Amino acid sequence: MRRISLALTALIFCIISGTLLCLVLYSPLPVLLASLANPEIHFAIMLSLVTGIASTAICIAVAVPVAYALARYTFPGKRIATLVLTLPLTLPPLVAGIALLLFFGSTPWGKALESAGFAVIFTPLGIVVAQVFVNLPYMIRIMRSSFAAISPRYEHVAKTLGCTDTGAFLQVALPMARPGILAGTVITWSKAMGEFGAVLMLAGVTMMRTETLPIALYLNISTGDVDLAVAAATILIAISLAALCAVEYLDRDVHVV
Amino acid sequence: MLTLESLSAHVGDFRIREISLEVRDREYFIIIGPTGAGKTVLLETIAGIHQPDAGRMLLDGTDITALEPRLRNIGMVYQDYMLFPHLTVEKNIAFGLRQKGIAVQERRAAVNETSRVLGISHLLGRYPETLSGGEQQRAALARALVMEPRVLLLDEPMSALDSGTRARISRELLAICKETQTTVIQITHHFEEVHALADRIAIMQDGMIVQSGTPSDVFLHPANVFAAEFLCIGNQIPGMAVPEGRLARVGTGGQSFYAVSDIAGPVIATLHPEDIIVSREPFVSSARNCLPGTVTELVPAGSTVRVILDAGFLLTAVLTRESCRDLALEQGSRVYATFKASAVHLIAAAHENQG
Repeated sequence: MRRISLALTALIFCIISGTLLCLVLYSPLPVLLASLANPEIHFAIMLSLVTGIASTAICIAVAVPVAYALARYTFPGKRIATLVLTLPLTLPPLVAGIALLLFFGSTPWGKALESAGFAVIFTPLGIVVAQVFVNLPYMIRIMRSSFAAISPRYEHVAKTLGCTDTGAFLQVALPMARPGILAGTVITWSKAMGEFGAVLMLAGVTMMRTETLPIALYLNISTGDVDLAVAAATILIAISLAALCAVEYLDRDVHVV
Repeated sequence: MLTLESLSAHVGDFRIREISLEVRDREYFIIIGPTGAGKTVLLETIAGIHQPDAGRMLLDGTDITALEPRLRNIGMVYQDYMLFPHLTVEKNIAFGLRQKGIAVQERRAAVNETSRVLGISHLLGRYPETLSGGEQQRAALARALVMEPRVLLLDEPMSALDSGTRARISRELLAICKETQTTVIQITHHFEEVHALADRIAIMQDGMIVQSGTPSDVFLHPANVFAAEFLCIGNQIPGMAVPEGRLARVGTGGQSFYAVSDIAGPVIATLHPEDIIVSREPFVSSARNCLPGTVTELVPAGSTVRVILDAGFLLTAVLTRESCRDLALEQGSRVYATFKASAVHLIAAAHENQG
């Protein structure tokens, strides 16, 4: 058993690292560097960074209080609320994307939002909306297990020492949940950087307009510009690797997901 | 004085029912009861964490039932201390003072004074996770005491400590609370703590207070069989009491013995194993009861041995290992059990059906 399991582990390791290395090493280094300097790739990096940071910030701001409510309070319909709030976890992003597209494109509410200046269809704003919709459940789940792991008695003590509800949350629960917030932020951000399906549906694939890194990869591979596609892919691999290392590092303190 | 009037509350499956208590100023009040009796719910309700379903709480005559916990000035120390792990010991202790908006200078002075009293001045710069259990407990006490609470609630504060440390810390805790003139309500299930600390105690069962009073009252005169069993009073003998002068003669299992009591009818007689003298010959003394019996079992327990006797009914006595050896006790030995009529406490058995 020992030999078989170790051999299989080695094999899978080789397949994964080999495949990714083939991709990264596809273009000769000078070509790769030239591609990374390409304005289209630059645009994609910047757009991914900006939308990723924006959507992650929104996810944190929304997920922290929602996760706190799910972890601490009892309220009618809590089970169904938990289910619906975390449903997008298992939903294919493409389905989430088309649902968003139909909501914003063909309902009176969507139209009202658009005429109020909140235009999301085929716009960079749509990228942020799609990323938030798909990634929020991850952040909620991570934060909920973070808060659930903190005994409410810490907050009870804080209240006997003069804190209001909000004070106890801000001064005790939130700082204690810090490792969870950091891990959740890294995971949410790296997922936002790589989000494709939902973005494709809602924001479209417009070169130099809604072209995030995964969209750039898709556009360039469909037009046969493999070098640019590889450049985008290489950056995405680097982001994944960095995020995984960060989560492993943070996970020493708290076990998320 | 803290007064609870018919206080009922529930948290999940735990509930307290119709609790009425008075805790006097500077009193050390201990609530004992088995796990699940609702002791923690009671403390948290007094602290204001949970709103009661019914009843009132008065602190020095003021109704505090609806008051937020932060305005009650009632301190709380949990079993696991609940020191804020992201703050140093100093910041933990200063936490409450900061909420009150007390200036840094004053804060520092108060923290220094309290940590000096508790002997943790050298730990102020450390984080809670680097402290031992005893040190964490002192830090948690300091955090509560620095606020000069009107009542200090202690939720099994000793249970995480080994028994040697527990006895020492109990003594110190008592000294500190007396010195700071703090009113304390503590919950526990350790009897050593009751005898060492309590001015008065209450026994809790299924969310209700079944008895309260001074420790000696409660131990000598348990209100019902639950209290007697819970207080580990070893012998509970059901029988029929018949008044005889100033005594009551309790008949059971073809035998009878005397108790100082005016109760008649069906009773449960309770008797501490420590109050029974075991001898080979009839023991000449002022004790009213001297019953012949047979040793049915010897159960070693540390330095003592529990001797189970059949005297027509089963009796448990406690002997040191030495006296057990001296008497050459073994299964089947014929012995005499001698005990005073005043050591027997009678509980009217009818109470059990009403309770």
